[in-house]
Amino acid sequence: MSPWLDVVLNDDLHLPVSRSIVTIPRFAPQETALEKIENLLEGIIDAISEGRELTIPFRTTRSPQAQQGDEPNCDLVRFPGRTIQEARRFEALFRIIELSHEALLSGNIITKRNIFYQNVDLFKSQGVVDDLVDNLAYTLGLGREDLNIVAAAKGLISGPVDLILRGGDVVHCNLPPGGILLPHIASVEKVDFHEAKWLLVVEKEATFKTLATSQYANNSFAGPGVIVTAKGFPDLATRRFLSVMHSARPHLRLYGLVDFDPHGIAIFRTYKSGSKRLAHEQDTTVPEMRWLGIRSSDVLSASRRDNLDISSGSDSQSSQDVSSQESVAYSHDGSQERHPSKRQKIRDSRDPVEFFLPLTDADRKKAVDLMNDIRSTDVVDGDNLEQLNELQRMLMLNVKAEIQAVDDFGNIASWLDERLCAL
Amino acid sequence: MSKQYLTVHTVDQAHPTEIFSLAPTPTSLFSASGSSSIRIHSTVEPTFPLQQELIGAHKLGCHHVTTARDGAGIVAASVGFSGEIKIWRRQGGNGAAWELWWEVAPTKTSGGDVWAVALSADENYLACTTSDGRIHVWDLNARERVQTYETGSSTGGGSFALSVDLSRDGKLTASGHESGAVYVFNNDAGRMAYSLSGLAKPVRAVAFSPGCKRLAAAGNAGVIAIYDMDHGEHVGNLTAPSSRPAWITSLDWNDTGEYLLSGSLDGKVKVWNVAQGVCVATHSETEDALWSVKWLPRSDRVLAPGMSKAEMFCAAGASRNLSFYREATGM
Repeated sequence: MSPWLDVVLNDDLHLPVSRSIVTIPRFAPQETALEKIENLLEGIIDAISEGRELTIPFRTTRSPQAQQGDEPNCDLVRFPGRTIQEARRFEALFRIIELSHEALLSGNIITKRNIFYQNVDLFKSQGVVDDLVDNLAYTLGLGREDLNIVAAAKGLISGPVDLILRGGDVVHCNLPPGGILLPHIASVEKVDFHEAKWLLVVEKEATFKTLATSQYANNSFAGPGVIVTAKGFPDLATRRFLSVMHSARPHLRLYGLVDFDPHGIAIFRTYKSGSKRLAHEQDTTVPEMRWLGIRSSDVLSASRRDNLDISSGSDSQSSQDVSSQESVAYSHDGSQERHPSKRQKIRDSRDPVEFFLPLTDADRKKAVDLMNDIRSTDVVDGDNLEQLNELQRMLMLNVKAEIQAVDDFGNIASWLDERLCAL
Repeated sequence: MSKQYLTVHTVDQAHPTEIFSLAPTPTSLFSASGSSSIRIHSTVEPTFPLQQELIGAHKLGCHHVTTARDGAGIVAASVGFSGEIKIWRRQGGNGAAWELWWEVAPTKTSGGDVWAVALSADENYLACTTSDGRIHVWDLNARERVQTYETGSSTGGGSFALSVDLSRDGKLTASGHESGAVYVFNNDAGRMAYSLSGLAKPVRAVAFSPGCKRLAAAGNAGVIAIYDMDHGEHVGNLTAPSSRPAWITSLDWNDTGEYLLSGSLDGKVKVWNVAQGVCVATHSETEDALWSVKWLPRSDRVLAPGMSKAEMFCAAGASRNLSFYREATGM
């Protein structure tokens, strides 16, 4: 897999201090990146001196955002070009090439957000910068980060691990109760995994915040672990972070927790096998990630659980005695110190139907698109078959459900304990 | 009075993925699943052998397959997850194989994805529902759409039509919707006859009685509502004693109209005596969801030595098995 994996393991074996610390190798510097960018610039300068039309080769990836009829198979961006739009496009692209060149020469890393805010008038929107950068990288046969351009951090991490940065700073991911922003993986020199046994990626920031605040990564029944979220659809930085974490610690178990809807399954598939649009980016997938949920069975059993609770408890339970329902939930083997001693045992008396929403037309279309994607992959393996089956069930039932469908009045910890221990 | 049903035979793993729909002919049973092929098992031999496989019928799997109740058994229709309808036909007697007759591409059904389908008893008409609440009726021989029933407001589409049925006399069409609504249309007049309320939750199955006097409807409410078709009145509910029963996915009347079969997501198949309003038999092999339950048309033939001509039914779902039951008689 990764060429430097062996080195890492060796390092790991010979580390005298702690085997929990793993060194993250620097990304192999793409010497060709600077060369390619300089070739582009030279071409433009030559054209100026010879009085020719200025051109930049430019191919677009299969981008869902690409507007129809907007030069679909554009191979060259010209200046002055035939239209004002093309001239503007050239200017924008040229600015990015220039910034990338500066960054490569100086060794600095710039964010796409910075590029945009320094040239708001030129780019008009962040999306324009994002597309241009990705397509430039694609055209040059490079990854986005080879251009020394990265996306601003979006992901969050929480758990008893430490990230040792190249400057020497140590980021304790355990400390802030709401989790911390993922540092860029290129800036991480070492990771101290301590006792972490698992890494859980959750789709929703809200779920992440709940888990981080309750210190779930420290007191899970499944042992200590790490929780990460990319706040929805994963960005490249989070995906690369996970890929590096996995390479550094192959036996760290990886799980994904997403909504029971087509979007959730698309997110899980992106972590696992990447996205079409950014298929040219390397080391950004974790095929080993396992699908923790939620599935149709979770949703349907949640409805049954609720049915039971309502039939057995609704008569006696009023809102006044809610506090008396709070009880010591986990007291066996004297582990109260490590595990939260109090978890509210109030049962949710919402109607189970509230957990489900009917699929929208867009959901149904997305589900069918995903099924087509899965069917057209070379190998329809067990994982793919399961996703296919869950998408079919979603369509049959015509329901979707958020992660919250399986929680217990906002507390998803007991459900997670059960799942993480079972796997 | 309770009745006894016995498992006659189980076709284990009849499909590689879960089975979503069943449709019987006088001599065979169609089954459709999440995989691309439709399978046809013989129901006139004691081992229910596989008779034919419609390979690659629906690339993304098939959610509905239907045959005409009381029909000659020479036409079937199926709907794939991509939204395409395929019409199958068998020509030239009992031994003949089923072949694709024609196909309705998803684009030709404008306005919402096609979902449930039903065939008229004469096998000349097909009713199909859409996700925006329409019910289209196709003339199979002319290969054209002859009727569209709208259930939405003038400003937009209606509620997802999850289920559909045609009465055996050809006069009525019924649809069950996500909103809980049940609509009955008069086919001669070409307009809505009744708008039936009472379930309030998604209606996953609607079925006319063989005499066309009653309509049964069920779904997430977990109860079966019975409506009178002469006046469009709600005449009763069939409910199990349990507090909140599971979602019902499938309903089917037996040939005499005395009994109603129901299948639900908790894996239970129930036989109801409609006149008495009671459940007379409950069976479940597993807790795996059932997607489809169907009576087999009454046959004059004795299936095997020692077996009676008693009525049989089949249940299928997430277990991927076809489970055949028959009434225990002479006990």
